[in-house]
Amino acid sequence: MPVIEVSIRDLERLVGKTLSLEELEDLLPRLKCEYEGVEGEYVYYEATHDRPDLFSAEGLSRALKGLLEIELGMPGVILRQEKVKAHVDGPTYRPYAFFATIHGLKLDNEAVKQIMQLQEKLHITYCRDRRKVSIGVYDLSKVKPPIYYTKAKPEEVKFTPLEFAEELTLKEILELHPKGIEYGHLIKSYEEYPLLVDSEGKVLSMPPIVNSEDTKVTEDTKEVFIDITATDPQAGLKVLNVVATSIAERGETIGLVEIKGTWSGVTPDLTPESLLYDNTLTEKVVGIKVSVEKASELLKKMRMDAKPISETKIEVKIPAYRLDILHPIDIAEDIAMAYGYENIKPEPYSPPHPGMPHPIEFFSKIIRETMVGYGFQEVNSYMMTNKKLLYDMMNLPEQPTVEVLNPKHENYSCIRTWLIPQLMEVLSQSKHADYPQKIFEVGDVVFIDETSSTKTREERHLAFAIADREVTLTDLLAVLKSLSLQLGFSYKLEPIDHPSFIPGRSAKIVVNKKNLGILGEIHPRVLLNFELNVPIIAAEININVLKEELISP
Amino acid sequence: MPKEYEQATVVLPPKQKKIVDLIIKGYTDIDKIAEQFKTSRESLMRDLEELREKELLTITRETVEIFELTSEAERYLELGLPEQRVLKVLEKSGEIVVKDLAKAASKYSIPLTDKEVKIGLSVLAKAKAVKIEKGKISLVQENLSKLVDELSKMQEALKQIKEGKAPEQVLSTLIRRKLVKKKSRRKIYAYPTPNLKKLYKTGKIKEAPVITTLTPEILASGAWRTAYFKPFDLSVEPPTIYPGKKHPYLEFLDYIRELLVSMGFEEMKGPHVEMELWNFDALFQAQDHPAREIHDTYFLKYPNEGRVEDESLMNRIARVHEDGWKTGSKGWGYKWDPRRALRLILRTQTTAVSARTLYARGDGEYMCFSLGRVFRPETLDPKHSMEFYQLEGIIVGEKVTFRHLLGFFEEIAKRLGLGKIMLKPGYFPFTEPSVEGFIKHPKLGWIEVFPGGMFRPEMLAGLGIKKSNVAAWGIGIDRIAMTVLGIDDIRLLFTRDLDFLRKWRKPIVKMWR
Repeated sequence: MPVIEVSIRDLERLVGKTLSLEELEDLLPRLKCEYEGVEGEYVYYEATHDRPDLFSAEGLSRALKGLLEIELGMPGVILRQEKVKAHVDGPTYRPYAFFATIHGLKLDNEAVKQIMQLQEKLHITYCRDRRKVSIGVYDLSKVKPPIYYTKAKPEEVKFTPLEFAEELTLKEILELHPKGIEYGHLIKSYEEYPLLVDSEGKVLSMPPIVNSEDTKVTEDTKEVFIDITATDPQAGLKVLNVVATSIAERGETIGLVEIKGTWSGVTPDLTPESLLYDNTLTEKVVGIKVSVEKASELLKKMRMDAKPISETKIEVKIPAYRLDILHPIDIAEDIAMAYGYENIKPEPYSPPHPGMPHPIEFFSKIIRETMVGYGFQEVNSYMMTNKKLLYDMMNLPEQPTVEVLNPKHENYSCIRTWLIPQLMEVLSQSKHADYPQKIFEVGDVVFIDETSSTKTREERHLAFAIADREVTLTDLLAVLKSLSLQLGFSYKLEPIDHPSFIPGRSAKIVVNKKNLGILGEIHPRVLLNFELNVPIIAAEININVLKEELISP
Repeated sequence: MPKEYEQATVVLPPKQKKIVDLIIKGYTDIDKIAEQFKTSRESLMRDLEELREKELLTITRETVEIFELTSEAERYLELGLPEQRVLKVLEKSGEIVVKDLAKAASKYSIPLTDKEVKIGLSVLAKAKAVKIEKGKISLVQENLSKLVDELSKMQEALKQIKEGKAPEQVLSTLIRRKLVKKKSRRKIYAYPTPNLKKLYKTGKIKEAPVITTLTPEILASGAWRTAYFKPFDLSVEPPTIYPGKKHPYLEFLDYIRELLVSMGFEEMKGPHVEMELWNFDALFQAQDHPAREIHDTYFLKYPNEGRVEDESLMNRIARVHEDGWKTGSKGWGYKWDPRRALRLILRTQTTAVSARTLYARGDGEYMCFSLGRVFRPETLDPKHSMEFYQLEGIIVGEKVTFRHLLGFFEEIAKRLGLGKIMLKPGYFPFTEPSVEGFIKHPKLGWIEVFPGGMFRPEMLAGLGIKKSNVAAWGIGIDRIAMTVLGIDDIRLLFTRDLDFLRKWRKPIVKMWR
C-alpha cells in the first residue's frame, strides 16, 4: 500500500489548525492510515488502496477537518461553466478521455509536490500502473483551448517531454525518456500513439507516457487543466473526481469541460451519490447500538451528508471522491470508524459446537508421534521444489508434475510429487552431523489428475530415511513392521524395479490390494548424485490410504 | 587323626589377592602395603576388613611414638652438623678471627650461615674443643677427638630417625636441640591367620575373574558372586545421542491447532492448487486487482484451467462482480470473465478455504479454522518466503457481529500470552468493517498480527449465504512463531541442516515460561 509523504506545515495550513505529532498518530489510524513516522517537517503514513482520496495532503486535510469537527458534512465545491471545450478522438485501445479545470489556485513548491505525489500514487494503485487510467495536469495559461485528445504516428509529431531540453519524436520518447522506457509497453505495439494537443497543435502530453515540459505546473500556476485517459470509462471518471476535488482544495472553483467526439458529455460529474442507509445494519453487523441521529453525526465527521428520515433510515450523500462506497456496509464501517474502535466493546462468542482437528491432521499427528518414538527427527520442507531434484537426482524418469508459469527461482518451480528427494537433500546437506541419521517428514504432495475439478489430487505422505555407515533394509522393515503393529494393519511386500533403489532391494507395500507405498535401499548412483558417502534406506507411505484402511469397518 | 576335609578354594578380587600376597611375604605394616599399591592407607581399609571377615587376616591397631626430623635437621643430615662444618673450616684455616669465619667458609665452599656459625662455635666452646682469645679462635687438640666421635654418632642418629628407627642414646639431645619432633600415630598391622597360611600353601587362594560387562550368562551362572566388577571410569566423556523429535515449528503449529480446537473451532482444509475463483473471485476481489497479477500470484504452466460444475455459483459471482446483484452493492462495474476464474494458481491465501467451506456448509452456526500453506512469488531471503503458513478462521451465525471478532482477538491474545492488543481500522478487499490487531513486541514495538473483519455481503451472496454474518480473522503465525522459537531468519523454519534441528530446543517450554 502506498506510503504518502506530507509536510506538516502544509497540512496545518490546509486544516487551519496546528497539529501535534500525538494528534496525528491518533488521527491517522482512524482513517485506516498507518502512521509510519516523522522526518524533519514531513510525516509519513501508509494509506489503503480503497481510499485514493487520502493519497495527498489535500484529501487528508479534508478528512482531518471532519474528525476534528472543524468542518462537518460533505465538502462544498463551486462549479462553473468554463469556456474550455474538448474534443475526443483517441486511439481505440485507449478511447476515453475526461477533463476538468481548477481556478484560483495558490501554489507553492509544497503544493506542486503534492499534486505530483497524488498522480504518482494513483497511477501505481487505482490506475493499475497507468494501464487502466492515466492522469495529466497542465498550466491552463500555457495552452489555447479547445483541447484535442487525438492520435499520431510515432514519427509524425515532436515535442519536448518533461525534464528534457529538446524536442523528440514520439518514437524517440519511448526509447530515450525514462517514462517512455518504463511505460512504452502500453502503446508500443500500436500504429498510432495517444496525443493531447491544444487548438494550435501544441502538445500537452502523450498519454499515458509523459507530459510536455512547456505546459508543466509551477508555483506560479493559477489555473490547471486536468486530463484523464482510460480504457475503462467508469474508472476514468472516478479518478478525475479524486484529482479535481483534491487540487480544488487549494483553489476556488472547478471548471466543467464540455466534451464532444467519440464520447460526449460534461466532466467532472461531482454529483454526490445518494443512499438510503438502514441503520439496523450498524447493530446487525458492527454490534453497536447508535441512534439515527448519532449515526448521522458520525457520518458528517466522515465528510458525508446525513439526515435521519425515520427511526431506522438515514439519507446519506456521499462525496464524489469516495470511491470505496459500494454497499451500505461501507457506510456501516465509516460509522464504526467515527465511533472509534476503542469504544466498541469486544464480546465473547460461545462456540456452537465442540472443536475438532481435521481428521488427516489428527491422523498425521499420531503417525508423527510414533515416528518420534522410533528416534526419528522430523524435518520440514517446502512443497515447492524442482524437477531436477524430484527426478534427475533420483535417477527417475520425469513424471507429470504441477509446474508454475512464473517461478522466482528455478529451485522452486514445481510442486513435489514425493517426499524422499527432499529427505535426501537434508541428508546430503547434513554430512557434518553425527551418524546414524534418522529423519522423517509428513507432508502433502500433488499429482495431476484430470478427473478432479482442480485437475490435481493431493496426498498426505510419510517418508522416512536412515543413513549410517552400516545400515540395511532390515532396519527399515523393522520400523514398518512396528508401525503396522502399533496402528493395526497388515501388509505385504512385493519386489519392484525402481530406478532410485538398488535392484533387488526395493519393494512395494501393499495393504488390502491397495498401494500403501514403497521402500528400498537408495541406489549408489543416487547417493553419488547427492554427494553422499554412506548407505541410505528410505520409505514413503501414503497416509490417506492408511487412514482409509484403518477407519474402514 | 581327625579327617581333614577338603578346603574350598577362596577367590579374591585382584586387589585383595595382592594384599594377601604381600602379607604372606612378610609385610605387616599397612602403611608399607599402601606404599606398594601407591595409594593411601585409607583406600585399603575396606578390603582389609573384608579379608578379616573371611578369616584370612587378623588386624591389630596400636598407637606408637614416632620421631620426625625438623627441616633444620634435614639440612644437617645432608650437610653435616654446624659444629662439624665449623671444625672443617678451622682445620683448614688454622687460627682465625671470629668475624672472618663465615668468609673463610665460603672460600672453602663450605655452606655455613651466620646462625650456624654461632651454633657451631657455642657447641665447640662448651666441649672445650676451641678456645677464643683476643677475638681469635684456635682448636684445642686434646679435647677434639672425643667430640668428633660424639658428633658422628649424632649424625648417624639423624640418619636412623629418617629411616624410622629411634636410637635412644642421643635422642634427648636431638629433641632439646629441636632437631627431632616426637609424634604419636596409629599403626595398623595385619597378620596372616593360620587358615590363610594353610590355604596359601595348598594353592587355594585364587584371583577372581574381572567383569567389565555384566551378561545374562554371568547372571545365570552366578559367576558374578565371585567375580570382580571393574570399576567404571566416570571421567570418560559419553557419546552424544539425539532424541527423536518433532520439528520445533510444526510442534508449535500443533500447539496452535490444539488451542483453536479447545476454543471450539473445527479444522477445514482446501487444495493448494486452486482456481482463481476460490482464491479471488469468490472473495469479491476484482479480476484486475493487483494481487492477481503475475508479481503476486503463481500461475501454472500445466495444468492451467480448472472446472466448476455449479453454474448458479458462477452466475452469482458474475453478478456481484458486475453490478452487485441483489446485495445492494454497485459491484465493480466490469464484465466478469468466467475463464479467468477457472485459471489454476497456487493459492495465495487460505481465505480460499474459508470460501469453499462457506459454499459447502451454507448458512448456520459454526466456527472453522484453517492452518495451511500459501504461495507468493517472492525471492527467498531472511524476511520473505515463497511458501509460508497462514492461520485463519471464520465465525458464522445470524447473530455474529464485529464485536465477536474483537472478542475472539482478545481471547486468543490472552491464550497465546501476547498481552494487550490494540485495534485499529484496516482494509482488506473482502471484509467490511475491517480491523488490524497489534501486539506489543518487546523489541519491534507494536506489530500487526491480527487482521480481520466481517466478510462483505457481495462475497456472502456469491457463495450462497443468505442470512448469516461471517466474522473472519487471520493470525500472522510466522511472526509469532519466530518470536517464540527465537529465530530471525524465516528460512530456518525449513532448514536442511540436521545438526541445527537436533540442537534446536523445544518451543513449548519457552511458551510456558
